[in-house]
Amino acid sequence: MAQAETDGVTDKRPLSPHLTVYKPMLTMMMSIAHRISGVALYLGALLLALYLLGLAFGPGAFGAVSWIANGFVGHVIVLGFSWALFHHLLGGVRHALWDRGLYMDPKGRELLAQATLGGGIILTLLTWILSTLAN
Amino acid sequence: MTSRTQFISGRTGRGAAYVSDASGAEHDRFMRLSARALLPLGSLAAWYIVGLSGKSFEAARAEIGRPFPALALIVFIAIAAPHARKGVESIIEDYVHDAAQKEKALLVNKWASIAVALLWTLAILLIAAPR
Repeated sequence: MAQAETDGVTDKRPLSPHLTVYKPMLTMMMSIAHRISGVALYLGALLLALYLLGLAFGPGAFGAVSWIANGFVGHVIVLGFSWALFHHLLGGVRHALWDRGLYMDPKGRELLAQATLGGGIILTLLTWILSTLAN
Repeated sequence: MTSRTQFISGRTGRGAAYVSDASGAEHDRFMRLSARALLPLGSLAAWYIVGLSGKSFEAARAEIGRPFPALALIVFIAIAAPHARKGVESIIEDYVHDAAQKEKALLVNKWASIAVALLWTLAILLIAAPR
């Protein structure tokens, strides 16, 4: 088989339904969220790189990037970044546990998924509360 | 991806579907090891980054300028950048079907992650440098 057809026939072939028929389950959603939080962290790291450069190059440069950490939008971004970080971190722990064959039964995996979601929110809140108290 | 086996998928027409290139295990191993290292490093980084929000120029510099936060953030990005790069590589491999676009996207990803790591490190070193 050398080359696939290029007359558009391949694009018109029917596809089995997936998102339209699969019942959304927590474990499924958490897997998607793990990927999305990863991308969010990637983009957040890009923004933080700009912020750190502004911090390094003097008050003028800092003025251009201070919106990343200060102001309403900035706080929302940093809050989202920290949540994505803890969510992705706990997701990694979840995968590490599954790698060892633990919590793979129906109740166990639901528990892990819930713990990841809840734990991520708790860790985020804890960090922000402690940070506010410390500063 | 290390191999260039040109399997032409009927579904994607002319696009090439990258099939097994035997690099999966190494990818997996790196992701799991780096994830373990990122447990403490990521938590530390989160703490310092959250601490930065709302701070003035001088206060933020004073915070990052101390040796421990500076080193923690540098080591964090040194490991997080390749981890993130491999993660986004998986995403590109999954969702970008056109061969040319896939190559381009993987290239952009590679250099963006290298740039982010170097710029973080440079910026932190500049901030922490003694006067």
